[in-house]
Amino acid sequence: MAKDEKEEKKGFLGGMKAKFKDYVYGMAAHEMTRQALKTRGSMEHLFILITMGDLLGVPILPPYYSLRLLPYVVPQISTWKRRMLREKDLTDALA
Amino acid sequence: MNGGLGRIFKDFPNRRYIMFGGKGGLGKTTFSAAAAYHLAKQGHRVLVFSVDPQASLSDIFQRDIFGKGAVEIMPNLFAQEIDADQRIKAYQAEIRKKIFDMYGFDKIPDEIESYIQAAAAEPAMEESAIFDEVVDIVVAGQYDYYIYDLVPLGHALYYLSMASVYDEWIERITKLREDMRQYEEMAAQISRDKEVEEDMILKELQYIKHRIGTSSSILTDREKTAFFFVVIPEEMILIDTQKAAQLFAKFNVPLSGYVVNRVIPESLASQDIPEYLRNRLQMQKGYLKKIDELFGTEVLARIPEFERDITGLPMIEKMAEALFGASR
Repeated sequence: MAKDEKEEKKGFLGGMKAKFKDYVYGMAAHEMTRQALKTRGSMEHLFILITMGDLLGVPILPPYYSLRLLPYVVPQISTWKRRMLREKDLTDALA
Repeated sequence: MNGGLGRIFKDFPNRRYIMFGGKGGLGKTTFSAAAAYHLAKQGHRVLVFSVDPQASLSDIFQRDIFGKGAVEIMPNLFAQEIDADQRIKAYQAEIRKKIFDMYGFDKIPDEIESYIQAAAAEPAMEESAIFDEVVDIVVAGQYDYYIYDLVPLGHALYYLSMASVYDEWIERITKLREDMRQYEEMAAQISRDKEVEEDMILKELQYIKHRIGTSSSILTDREKTAFFFVVIPEEMILIDTQKAAQLFAKFNVPLSGYVVNRVIPESLASQDIPEYLRNRLQMQKGYLKKIDELFGTEVLARIPEFERDITGLPMIEKMAEALFGASR
């Protein structure tokens, strides 16, 4: 807590400095977070394609166990199917 | 020459998963039933079950056991024929219930429902359902011995390869899922979020992986599994069996030996018999010699052609004596 008191003494200027630091961090981090989520998003599509490919008419073994995963991807399925059939490039979807 | 199977069971008491393989109609079900009978008489708790959608355990025990779970045939001897359709239906219902519970729909969306139905119509579905039920049976561990009444060769290979295909499939998607998780965690860390929520899909995958692992580890475990090939003294069968043995070896199935079925008793030769039968005997002699050359000491028993069908317990007992030697 000693550190906090010190910062408080610095007053207005110190506060600004801390906020600026957050701001810069935020700018950099936002981009990185976005990248990580983008990558994850494309993997999610790949994952659903592999497990639920039958929905598109791409038979991918084995259906028995992929059925177990179905309940968890119900919300994604309708949007995913639309995208998969529409897009030429997977990266379009990520923009 | 007879009774050699008993030796294997005595020498390797840890081999608790017993399988008879071979082409269709050579006597796999008969031997499965006889082995089950013999082991049960010795006081072991035995389950003989069929992984064949066209099972014939009901016929040999002369009781309708199809889809009725494990049925007690006599003390210590239980038999089971898996009803794949019933299993698939129950499984579909379970999936639907999960979706209802998770999202509170009052009706399954059409797209999802049609997927559930289409998946059940897949050709591999029946085998997969049986495969899954076998895992249940084995994991429950209620018996001392499990005797698999296998499907004919081609299907048996398919069944075995299914375990390795599943294994690989699950391995890969689990890896993908774990990678996804890493990105998610990274994003959460950078943006200073709290813990990411538990990945239910990953959990589900790990569950599936565990089940498949259990099943394929049994099939390839030299310590716990005894696999016997059934042959008869005929050329085609010998050629096919050699090929199959190589394929089975590829899947690391531990082969315990060969049983020769349908041997016409040689004592007949000294009697007054028609030319036809004499020729058969002569031909058989040649192939029996060939079998000994090919498989040597791995030939465990020669089982004579019986005077009538092997159905019902008294005949099964006779067969058990031929396989294991008199049980007293």
